[in-house]
Amino acid sequence: MLRLLRRAHAIFKAYLLASLIRSRGLVYALLGFGLWMILIVAPISLFAEEGVDTSTIASRVFVGIVLFYYFSFATWEWGAELRWMIMRGILEYYIASGSGFIPHYLAILPVTLMWLAIALSISYALLSILWSPPVIVVYDYLTLIAGFTMYTTGLLGYALILGGSMITTGAAGFFVEVLSFILPIATGGLFPLRYMPELLRSIALATPFSYPAELIRHALLGIEPVLQLEEAMVIGATYNITLLLAGILLFKHQLKKALREGFPSISLW
Amino acid sequence: MLRAEFKLEYNDVFRRKSVFISMLLYPYIFTAFTLLLAYAGGSPRVFEERFGVNPVIYLMTASYTLMSMLVSVDVLLWRPLFDEENGTLIYIIASPVNRLKYYLALPFPRYVEVLILGATSALPVYIYFYGLEGLVLGLLIISLIALGSILMIPFAIFIAGLVHRVGESWRLLNIVRPVLMILIGVYYPRFYMPLVGRIVSGIIPSAHIVEVIQTIVLNVNTDFYHLFAIAIALFILYVPIGRWSITSWEWKKVREGVKIT
Repeated sequence: MLRLLRRAHAIFKAYLLASLIRSRGLVYALLGFGLWMILIVAPISLFAEEGVDTSTIASRVFVGIVLFYYFSFATWEWGAELRWMIMRGILEYYIASGSGFIPHYLAILPVTLMWLAIALSISYALLSILWSPPVIVVYDYLTLIAGFTMYTTGLLGYALILGGSMITTGAAGFFVEVLSFILPIATGGLFPLRYMPELLRSIALATPFSYPAELIRHALLGIEPVLQLEEAMVIGATYNITLLLAGILLFKHQLKKALREGFPSISLW
Repeated sequence: MLRAEFKLEYNDVFRRKSVFISMLLYPYIFTAFTLLLAYAGGSPRVFEERFGVNPVIYLMTASYTLMSMLVSVDVLLWRPLFDEENGTLIYIIASPVNRLKYYLALPFPRYVEVLILGATSALPVYIYFYGLEGLVLGLLIISLIALGSILMIPFAIFIAGLVHRVGESWRLLNIVRPVLMILIGVYYPRFYMPLVGRIVSGIIPSAHIVEVIQTIVLNVNTDFYHLFAIAIALFILYVPIGRWSITSWEWKKVREGVKIT
């Protein structure tokens, strides 16, 4: 345990120094995040009714952004991390060292959370400038905790499936980028299912992420989910735990396959 | 040079079909993304009442514009960096090729992709909403976007030269790209920008073409000829500036040496 923590600490220090301080990445990344956000969010004002409470708009958009960012971080910081490890040529060392991936992920988790907090703060500031500060009120703490726990569980499963697929297929970063856009949309991450067209709602409900997203929206915005709260909790929990278990099994299988056949070469970021 | 660049690009396109398919999907993804965010913040009915146009048409045109501009501009912005990282920059600097012609040739293979992108994104939407008339309108929009992308070349060369003088240029590019797209007004039209934004965006040739496209799509009256004239004048103006920018960056590299990674 102590060795694991020592390893995790060393990796955390290296990540923090290399990516945030030494290369001034933080400043650039902050600016980049904010600018892409402005680009995408700005046209919403063309859709807003005159006289409508702008903080309500900002709050709904902000919760959509929270869910989207969390999803994106699972894709890029957890799933695609294995891809970066192949590209940097360090994956083999991890395997040879026998330490496994747990110290690595344990170490990058605080960095991920820090990035998430920063990205959300920027989004909050931008929304405040564009419209009005989003009003974050927790209507139901229990549902919020349940929603985030489920979402995290499901995203871990998703990241394991994505990471496992990458180490055996060498899937292109471009493909992953598309996936990271499509899935939050298709799974009802951006928008309450209640206001979605029937077809999109059915598609979203077929995915595990729509249930925690509905719970989080209910807890933060007071929007009623399309299913009964208890029903959404039971189905969501079952679905997301199953996804995590499937992710673990698939990842183990893919890792064995990669050790047998070797890692694919990757050329595109 | 054009043939070589076409070969380089299309060998990659055919080899990595998933990348090409993903590129074709992007306008749909961005449209869905912005539309759903718009649903969260307002109502498509409001948009329709305000402009008399279905928001899907506007957002699809905007997303297609975004992708087209990125497809054509990115190669100019990133290529010097890739060449440096691949270790080929020294050969390019040493080659007797006319630098301006070389950088002008780079984005041309991508324009075929821009046309294909238009045929798979904007055109079906226009035909769906306007029928046969939509086909004509869609083709007009695609032609205008292709023109806008071409007019962007010298400006993008100018920006590439400037950005690569500074260290951390890949990080800087990730800031420059969204700034350019905001100023061009792909999603939020220039004519709604504050005066300062309008003035700053006025120095980008393609911003005027995008404004023409948006005035057509949103049924806003404007002087098209005036906008075309400004865009073409800026294009001509940026040719020598772009040439100076890229050659002076190369001289800087020759003076300081090219880093080989």
